[in-house]
Amino acid sequence: MDGLIEFARGPIFRISITVCVLGLGYRILTLAGQIAAAWYRAGDRRLPLGDIAATTASWLVPRRLWSKRPFYSSASVLFHLGIVVVPLFLAGHVALLAGFLPRWWPVLPEVVADNVTAISLVALLGLIVGRVGLASSRALTRVGDVVVLVLLFCLLLFGWWAANPALSPFAARTMLFLHVLLGDLVLVLIPTTKIAHCALVPFTRLVFQLGWHFPAETGRHVAQALNKEGEPV
Amino acid sequence: MAIECSYYLEPVDTIDLPQRFLEAFAAILSHSNYAMVLDTACRVSTRCGRCSTSCPVFETSGEDRDVPCHRTELLLKVYRRYFTPFGNLAARFGKTFEIDEAYINTMAEEFYRCTACRRCTLECPMGIEHGLITHLARWALAEVGIIPKALVVATREQLEGNTRNTSAIPKAALLDTCEFLEEDCADEVGLKIEFPVDREGTEYVFFPAVSDYLLEPDTLIGNAAVMSATGGSWTIGTSAYDGINYGLFYSDRMLDRIVSMEADEVRRLGAKKILIGECGHASRSAKFFVRTFCGADEAPEVVNFMEYTHKAWKEGRLELRPDVITERTTYHDPCNIARSGWIIDQPREILRHICTDYVDMTPKGRENYCCGGGGGTVSIDEIREFRTLVGGAKKAEQIRRTGAEIVVAPCANCKKQLREVCEDNGLETVRIVGLHDLLIKAIVAPPEMLIEIDVAAADAASGV
Repeated sequence: MDGLIEFARGPIFRISITVCVLGLGYRILTLAGQIAAAWYRAGDRRLPLGDIAATTASWLVPRRLWSKRPFYSSASVLFHLGIVVVPLFLAGHVALLAGFLPRWWPVLPEVVADNVTAISLVALLGLIVGRVGLASSRALTRVGDVVVLVLLFCLLLFGWWAANPALSPFAARTMLFLHVLLGDLVLVLIPTTKIAHCALVPFTRLVFQLGWHFPAETGRHVAQALNKEGEPV
Repeated sequence: MAIECSYYLEPVDTIDLPQRFLEAFAAILSHSNYAMVLDTACRVSTRCGRCSTSCPVFETSGEDRDVPCHRTELLLKVYRRYFTPFGNLAARFGKTFEIDEAYINTMAEEFYRCTACRRCTLECPMGIEHGLITHLARWALAEVGIIPKALVVATREQLEGNTRNTSAIPKAALLDTCEFLEEDCADEVGLKIEFPVDREGTEYVFFPAVSDYLLEPDTLIGNAAVMSATGGSWTIGTSAYDGINYGLFYSDRMLDRIVSMEADEVRRLGAKKILIGECGHASRSAKFFVRTFCGADEAPEVVNFMEYTHKAWKEGRLELRPDVITERTTYHDPCNIARSGWIIDQPREILRHICTDYVDMTPKGRENYCCGGGGGTVSIDEIREFRTLVGGAKKAEQIRRTGAEIVVAPCANCKKQLREVCEDNGLETVRIVGLHDLLIKAIVAPPEMLIEIDVAAADAASGV
């Protein structure tokens, strides 16, 4: 088992994180290219950048969240807290990236990481149950949405069991292996699934605002393409 | 099958309809920035449904189809299937979604249940603007002939009819109306006002919602009184005098052509700026799209009449008597001027000054509820019940909570819709007016505007 674990957090991890970083980089660069092209084509290039920055920031610091659907919103925030903080600041994870992170990179005390993970797990379970259980949410949900959530749930759960062997029904090393393997899988999936929002969300307000800035010739070009020039309304 | 919706359509050619829809969609994507928008929406949309908590239609109907991200998904599904490499690849290897007439029919119905108020944008954690997706979907539908008849008939008259306006008011009738309004103001209020016509070299060319000439004379009298009191340099142009722009609701091609008419009229008269009357969508379509389609920095500046009035008042060029309106008054924010934060405080400052009992609705400003007739739906009379009892239910509740006797709604569409909302929701005693309807009572007129009137004769004429 130790050999498998080392393999999963050695070469497999390096491949996975490379795919993740390159994939997200590709996504961001592609989007940046689209944004630049859209801005260049826009008939009116003035953008309310202050407003865009303010609305983007208002969601990065989610002050509005609890005004509507407080349970769902709380679960969402707590889940995101765990899924962002623990991977980046848990001692074991920091060790994996030792060569890439600066020396001052903070490390979470184990007890804090354990508790944050547990809270995140409960929150994620709530989200999954909500999505599948509530008719209104189920109607909006596709299989892929649930698969990603279940995958993340297993990733967190196996990691938590590996860190707390006394509470695990399975061997700790097995849990650690599955946790690392799932972590590798999730890294690969980040650029290709909805999880890409972790990198793209800062740009979405800009994208949609820019979406209203049409190219000046758009109507005439569409009419030409559809052979509708001169056609009555 | 025929395309059938809850609103009237002109006959739709259903031969190869799905194929023609895809061709139209492809043409739009090729010549616009919408592909970037849809790409991003596909990558970040988690369909959490949070947008439903802010949609006035869903809050009342409770139907899944009224959840904004559900509606958006209708178009994203087509985009993913036909316009992404993965969708095309998946179609080669298995049974996938195929667009058909029934699906197009569903889109035609659902994208017109949205009032395009964009309130859901405030709630989407991913920053998705469902209003923009609705806007795009309606354009694609329009290119295959699926447009509410009320909108397309009005637009046809505006762009190609003899009268060149959505209410089909001939030039002679416009001139008569202006003359009548001048006389009416002189007789009833004792103020000399003027509606200058085709005057060259003015600062502003005036474009109200043309329906105001038929339905909102008090608003227009108020507009003219403000201009007379401030010595404003303005004119009405007889080649184009309609600010209404239904292109905003169904086609960027029409949006372009209509704002271009406005800019052309300003150039013809050697004027400098476009002055839009009290109308939300007319203001937004001019403010945000004249620059887009008419030469960016070369395009005429666009000013909403409330901005003009507020500025004149603040600069001391317009004097308003305080506390002249004693009934409880509230203000409705038209989505098209408030959602972006453009015009929110200016009318409120004026109203707080001239009213003794001004109250705000909750929520208000950027977060205000749509009247329920946004996105052009107000013009679709056959869906009145949906507009007033579903889309407008939250607004009716808001008005009721204020206890207001007067609702100021500075928008031709909102006024029509709110009157119907009040009629259908047991609020018959509430008066819906424009801001300038009230201002006429508050303006301190300079001496040259004053006309001595025979009060007894005026009272007798007005039946008092």
